[in-house]
Amino acid sequence: MRLQVFFRLVVLVVIFGFADMVSAQKVSVEEFTLPNGMQFLLVPRTDQPNVVSAGWVARVGSVNERPGITGISHFFEHMMFKGTNTIGTRNPDKDRTFRVEQKKVRDQMNQLVLSEQYERYRNGEIDDPWDSVNDTPRLKSLRTKLDTLIRAQQGRGKAGPATATIVKDEFDQVYTKAGGSGMNAFTSYDLTCYFITVPSNKLELWAWMESDRLNDSVFREFYSERDVVHEERRLRTDSTPTGRFQEQFNSMFWASCGYAWPVIGWPSDLNSYTFEQAQVYWNTYYRPGNLFGVVVGDFDPKQAKRYIKQYFSRLDPGSNKLPPVVTLEVEQLAEQRMNAIGDFPPTIEIRYHTVPAGHVDSYPLDMLAEVLNERTGRLYTTMVEGRGIAATASASSDTRKYAGLFSFDGMTRGDAVPEQLEQAWYEELAKLQTEDLSERELRKVKNRVAASNYRRLENNMSLLIQLAFSEALLDWEEINEGPAKYEAVTADDIKRVANKYFKETNRSVAIYRRSMEQVTAKEAGK
Amino acid sequence: MNHQALKNIICVRPLAGVIAVILLCFSQVFAIPPRPEAIEFQPLEYTPPRAADFRRMLSDGTIVYVAESHEFPLVNVSITFKGGGSLDPAATPGLASVMARMVREGGAGDMSPAMFDETLDFLATEMSVSAGNTFTTARMNSLSGNLDESLQLFVTMLRKPAFEKQRLEVVKARLLESLKQRNDNASSILAREWKAMLYGRNHFEASQPTASSVEAISREQLEAIHRQIIHPGNMIVAVSGDFAVEEMLEKLTEAFQGWERGAVAPDPKMPEAVLVPGLYHVQKEIPQGKVVLGKRGIVRDDPDAIPLLLLNEILGAGGFTSRLMQKVRSNEGLAYSVRSILSQRINYPGAFQATFESKNPTVALATKIVLGEIALIRQQPVTDEEIEVAKQGLIETFPRQFESKPTTLQVFVNDEWTNRPKDYWQTFREKVRSVTKDDLLRVAKKHLDPSQMAILVVGDWEAIASGDLEGRATMKEFFGGEVKHLPLRDPLTLEPLPLD
Repeated sequence: MRLQVFFRLVVLVVIFGFADMVSAQKVSVEEFTLPNGMQFLLVPRTDQPNVVSAGWVARVGSVNERPGITGISHFFEHMMFKGTNTIGTRNPDKDRTFRVEQKKVRDQMNQLVLSEQYERYRNGEIDDPWDSVNDTPRLKSLRTKLDTLIRAQQGRGKAGPATATIVKDEFDQVYTKAGGSGMNAFTSYDLTCYFITVPSNKLELWAWMESDRLNDSVFREFYSERDVVHEERRLRTDSTPTGRFQEQFNSMFWASCGYAWPVIGWPSDLNSYTFEQAQVYWNTYYRPGNLFGVVVGDFDPKQAKRYIKQYFSRLDPGSNKLPPVVTLEVEQLAEQRMNAIGDFPPTIEIRYHTVPAGHVDSYPLDMLAEVLNERTGRLYTTMVEGRGIAATASASSDTRKYAGLFSFDGMTRGDAVPEQLEQAWYEELAKLQTEDLSERELRKVKNRVAASNYRRLENNMSLLIQLAFSEALLDWEEINEGPAKYEAVTADDIKRVANKYFKETNRSVAIYRRSMEQVTAKEAGK
Repeated sequence: MNHQALKNIICVRPLAGVIAVILLCFSQVFAIPPRPEAIEFQPLEYTPPRAADFRRMLSDGTIVYVAESHEFPLVNVSITFKGGGSLDPAATPGLASVMARMVREGGAGDMSPAMFDETLDFLATEMSVSAGNTFTTARMNSLSGNLDESLQLFVTMLRKPAFEKQRLEVVKARLLESLKQRNDNASSILAREWKAMLYGRNHFEASQPTASSVEAISREQLEAIHRQIIHPGNMIVAVSGDFAVEEMLEKLTEAFQGWERGAVAPDPKMPEAVLVPGLYHVQKEIPQGKVVLGKRGIVRDDPDAIPLLLLNEILGAGGFTSRLMQKVRSNEGLAYSVRSILSQRINYPGAFQATFESKNPTVALATKIVLGEIALIRQQPVTDEEIEVAKQGLIETFPRQFESKPTTLQVFVNDEWTNRPKDYWQTFREKVRSVTKDDLLRVAKKHLDPSQMAILVVGDWEAIASGDLEGRATMKEFFGGEVKHLPLRDPLTLEPLPLD
């Protein structure tokens, strides 16, 4: 009885509070575009004094690649820290000579690998045409030559430090000395983002450094850096229990569109990028018309605009046309399944094709995931607590620029097998497809979504990343307009999308289990 | 090339653009300094906040650090209790951590767990409780409009957790599933075995629950450790956000009324184990070996702490400007991540360690380079440029210690709990400035002696031991090639498994 009263009181407060909050959510952004086409978003605010988070985004990611150059977007992210004719070298002319020499050797090597070594591979003589253990004598001598050039450029050759033209990681040194922190970049399917936090009085340095590398990157260490990326791939994908399986599941799920290959790229492609390919990519996607900057924090917007104009106007707008992303995902016609065995707990992932970001159905789909998630969500109450067959269970709606997916993930508990989670998931779906959500349940989820949209804006860097994604996928205004769209979702909308997308023929199922448990499962099935 | 491009713009852009472009041409000619060093920066005066300006005491003696901030209609409450894993009974590692989870998940007062969660969710109030090694923290973030209800729920949860039986079963089951995954990932094997080598398997830094110790956890045990940790005699509060200070203090006083004060929890016990130098290995068949090497380090308040902090930046903590990153990653492409870590503890020495991963044949080479860099930094002074970059980096990023109200208050809470010298932050930058290259050489010699270090490798030994194709290094080079193969442990019992 006491609790009922309590609830009613709460409901009143909350509904008032949230209606208020949704309308109050306004991030005031000053937007402007330079004559060369580069757009900027400025958000001055003082809650975190003395610091500014600043970044820029290239509207390009792995979706813009094609077989043969997969992973090149991510490789570029590495290249962007390698300097220019000013930063990263003590002798730009000599350094260029090194790079030209290296390119000549590596081009010959590539040509040999792609002809002779690929043929040996096709004949079954060797298992990896790129692996140096399979080098022919000619290839081996070229590799030594390339290595000698790289070492000389770094001052680690026979002649000692005198031949060095590189100043190692000078880009980082300049920022570190100036109090830059959290400098990093990321590449995703649809965008590449470079960001840092600097003291408020160093915004001009940011403008200098970033416009310099956008104006004049020379792709220094173009060949040696791919060893690092190979190690990154080994770390993230090859040496983790599920890494390679998840990569394969992803490629199985997407049939035709550019989300089918991993952001880090296929290993063969990673070895093969040529300087010409990099140049075309650079001249196409890293032009000011395809870039935007975001500055959030404690700064004077007038002064910031002055710096931005002063420095970023030097970027050449270029003349390459942006190739549109053409290939759409084809309709899936039949269920797909993958059975993986390895060092991982028995888990299941079920995926469905849905819609791109900003699609009218993306809002009810996001809400649907929220109905299922968290401790009071349906998955926890039925699978984790109720039946006790899951240790964890969650749903997510991932809407990208050109397509989207919805997924269910569950890890079994005790003796339960993934197939039980699969069955339980279908039962949850059936409820969503046939029964209406109660007003209270919908209200609860909306409250949570509104509050978390809000909390994400508290920190400068987190707001920067939000703006980066919103603008790259849709429009930065989405950060202010989105909350009202979620607020407008009805129980009917949720039921409608539950019926539209969650069909047997539209799903792909991955089941992971340990080899031992597979045996048990088979026995249980007998 | 740029001018040509600008002409192109003039052709296609409207007049306003033309003017802008012309002006910009001027600014470009006259105003872009040739190098970043040529830019003149406005000085940025910064005085770190003082704890005393935020510290208040409630009538019951509870210390509260409090700060208003009105940019968002949100309130953050964080309560830090002394003790965590450090108070686990020997037979029940992880008890404090399960208690913390159960305080949050097991219901509060006469509200069932489901009803408690439902109410919080509806209010969109976030709460969490977690136990670390030496402190347990409870956090709440609510909309300021829901502050009263949220605060009432938060304090009820802490004072009167229900520890409901079914939820305890769920928490145990989840923990059990995570135990089963102990050997799946090489990195978690590395972390587990390294801690055991550093601190001893029975010290709370390294101790781990087993399936049977988890099963045995009872409601009575939870209540006992809850009584010991969660009470006003053992806590310091931090509150920031959208409220008026005096009003907030009244609310807290009221909320804590009648809450029994117990004794402050005891200090954590010292580890007894001594790291035995040598080469160690755990078998795991993956294409990349994971390595950690190092030794026991210093306590936080060691007089050498600041020079060591700078030395560590130069050696391996300073990202791309550090020597390890340059030599192992940038120059040789042997690893994606390589770094050194100086972890400090309050009551007993922490650790100095370097970690990296490399494809199997180059694990030895990367190890050799890392050890070489450690040897070098003990032989020769660092360069002027290196110490300058490291000092400037620490001084310029110093304000970020206090970047938001919640982080600022948390610093003060931690300082009070750990008796950090009162002038620490006020004098920090001066102490950094006064460090010399000789100081760095001295602390390197004193604290980074490689003969006291152990190397631990998790990976495929056969592929790792013989080293790289060019013969630049093999694992034989370390400790005379004498390797101690450590057994993998059964994920549920932690009993050693037979070595193949």
